[in-house]
Amino acid sequence: MIQGRWYEKGSATSYKAIFQDIDNIYYKIELDNGRNLKGLIEALSVGNRLGNVERKIILEDGSLFATKENDKVDELLKNKLKINHFIHTLETHIRWVVVALVVTVLFSFSFFKWGIPYASKQIAHALPHKTNQLIASNTLDYLDKYIFNKSTLSIQEMNKIRVHFKTNLVPLSIEDKSITYTLHFRDWSDVPNALALPSGDIILTDKFVELCKSQEEMDAVLLHEMGHIVHRHSLEMVIQSTFVSVAVMLIVGDSNGLADMGVGLGSLMVSSAYSRGHETEADLYAFEHMLTANMNPKAFSRIMNRMTEYIQSDKSITKHKPETKNSEDSILDYLSSHPSTKKRVEIANMFAECYRKGLKSCKIELMD
Amino acid sequence: MKALCFKGSGSEYFKIWIVNILLIIVTLGLYYPWAKVRNHRYFYANTILEERNFEYHATGKQLFLGFLVAMVLFITYIVISKILPIGGFMIMGILFVAIPWLIWRSLKFSLKMTSFSNVRFGFKGTLRQAYINFFVFPFLFILALYGVPMGVAVGVPMMLGEEGVAPWLQAILPLAIIISIGFAFYLYGFMKKKNTSYRLNGTRYGQGIFETNLEVKKFLFILLKTIGMSILVIGVFVLLIGSVVYTTIGLEGVLEMKYNMNNPQAGHTGLGLMMMIYISAYLGFIFSSMLIMAYSITRQRSYIYQNTSLDKKISFASTLKAKSLAWVMVTNFIVILLTLGLAFPWTKVRMARLIVENTLVDTEAGFYEYITQKEKEESSLGEQIGDAFDVDVGIGL
Repeated sequence: MIQGRWYEKGSATSYKAIFQDIDNIYYKIELDNGRNLKGLIEALSVGNRLGNVERKIILEDGSLFATKENDKVDELLKNKLKINHFIHTLETHIRWVVVALVVTVLFSFSFFKWGIPYASKQIAHALPHKTNQLIASNTLDYLDKYIFNKSTLSIQEMNKIRVHFKTNLVPLSIEDKSITYTLHFRDWSDVPNALALPSGDIILTDKFVELCKSQEEMDAVLLHEMGHIVHRHSLEMVIQSTFVSVAVMLIVGDSNGLADMGVGLGSLMVSSAYSRGHETEADLYAFEHMLTANMNPKAFSRIMNRMTEYIQSDKSITKHKPETKNSEDSILDYLSSHPSTKKRVEIANMFAECYRKGLKSCKIELMD
Repeated sequence: MKALCFKGSGSEYFKIWIVNILLIIVTLGLYYPWAKVRNHRYFYANTILEERNFEYHATGKQLFLGFLVAMVLFITYIVISKILPIGGFMIMGILFVAIPWLIWRSLKFSLKMTSFSNVRFGFKGTLRQAYINFFVFPFLFILALYGVPMGVAVGVPMMLGEEGVAPWLQAILPLAIIISIGFAFYLYGFMKKKNTSYRLNGTRYGQGIFETNLEVKKFLFILLKTIGMSILVIGVFVLLIGSVVYTTIGLEGVLEMKYNMNNPQAGHTGLGLMMMIYISAYLGFIFSSMLIMAYSITRQRSYIYQNTSLDKKISFASTLKAKSLAWVMVTNFIVILLTLGLAFPWTKVRMARLIVENTLVDTEAGFYEYITQKEKEESSLGEQIGDAFDVDVGIGL
């Protein structure tokens, strides 16, 4: 016997009712207005169980029997339950809930930590080089229009750097023959920086050229930028952020604006972590190639330190590049797109040690 | 008047939520529509008035196709916006044009899939009205708030040249800007009234018709009070932070820190403390905006409910207080942060309970005579796209 309410088809009119199984083939529903309904159990459509919310059983004529006695429905009509009952089983057994919790936490962590970077790398490298050109198209024009000014370097200076780059550095990049490297010089109001576009274009700012005290220092940074291009980091970024956005959409789903704020911070931290990974990867690319070309990786620490010092001494620039602020071990490191200069210099120095020993390759332990 | 009651519990919903996520993971996202149905059903079916409950009728199968299309569009949007910044803007433009259609489809689908006491809701608003409400009005509003003042401030002096600006024109320009912003202010209230009326007057319960009579004046009044409160809260907030900095670090300390920032050799005394103040200021800002939001939401809700009826027989009321809404918002936010999101189900149930139990319905007339109206099947496409792009439809109670 199951207590519940019976509703006419599509109507709010309802009566208290008692459901009974007569002989496993027929059922009977007694309404409190004296009416009795009979029918085949076979023809009933029993709704899925969800927590302890009212259960709906639809009769052959479209009328409805609703009851809160979920356990009795499960017991009496167990042959009628749909496969979906499996989900309710998961939800009610603490063992499965714990399994779900552990799997979810572990999976989410590994997915963001290793899964997305790995998959992005694979996809980025499976795509043709044309994709890189597509991403980079118009970027330089855009930067020229809104950010850069014409370089104040002389043609001779530019050509000297270009020739050196072509003869000494480009041959080192043997990984991807489809890349054509092009050097550009621009003025960016006293910001020392070097940028790489996925198409193979590398942009050096005047201030950066000015701060380089030796050819090796400039080469170290150029190799770092080449590392970004060879590893297709821009393309990886596009793929990574697509993954992150879709994953966030699926998990948070239809939440309110409130949760969005926390999620926004989370996605920012995740994408900053990926970006820091890229910087380290480009650094390593530079160091390894410096060793093979017999250059001292120490040059990288020198130019990094000089740039950091310059930025800190010139307040007008910290406005442009707040992330290079030298706040070691602060909470803001998790939001920074670059690893701290201190950490990068440490790795450069390890490679410099290998160089001093005359090694052509260097094995170091990277810590996160 | 009787209050609705909410019978869901945080622990029960937690299990449903975590199993949903597990299945989404295992199926690489394909389970999402079914998960959505279970979530919706849980909250609808636990919302009860006099032993009658709401029910969500959409099935995962029904949502699946719309979900796939929405996913493809969403991924295309992200990829394009990352590759070409202009492409992203273009898609945003297309979305802006598509929003009225998405809202219209979403309202039609969601309401049709919702029932109370075995009788389905429905939506009879027209697409034309959706475009007037969610395209024309917002467009005029943005034009009045930003377009005209900016055009006047930048365009007019440019057109006339440096010396061409006559003194009388210089005097009129600020006036034109003020009038335009004032007009935007009025448009806001007008838009609120129109949008709410569109949603509510188009809503059906069986053969029953919802009716709402709203005035622009009242919305403007609430907006004015909200602005006043914002100024007050932010003022108090700035004073508070200022006095904390002044008493703990002092003016000289701040100056010294500024000097030390540029000098890498010097120690960073007080930087830790400054960090703490930064973080608390940031949190404080979030909390004060929640307070202001809660105020605006609860006032509008009370006003709208008071002036809405079903067939002129069944009336509604909202007893939701700004203080309690703000309290639940703030504490939910903190709990979600502290548990890295794991307490999300609990916070969702808590919020649902607060909102549902502060909704009153006059049940004297009874619901006996209401009957579901026959309608053709609706596709879930628009609703799913709206869901993916986070288009706020807001049909919640």
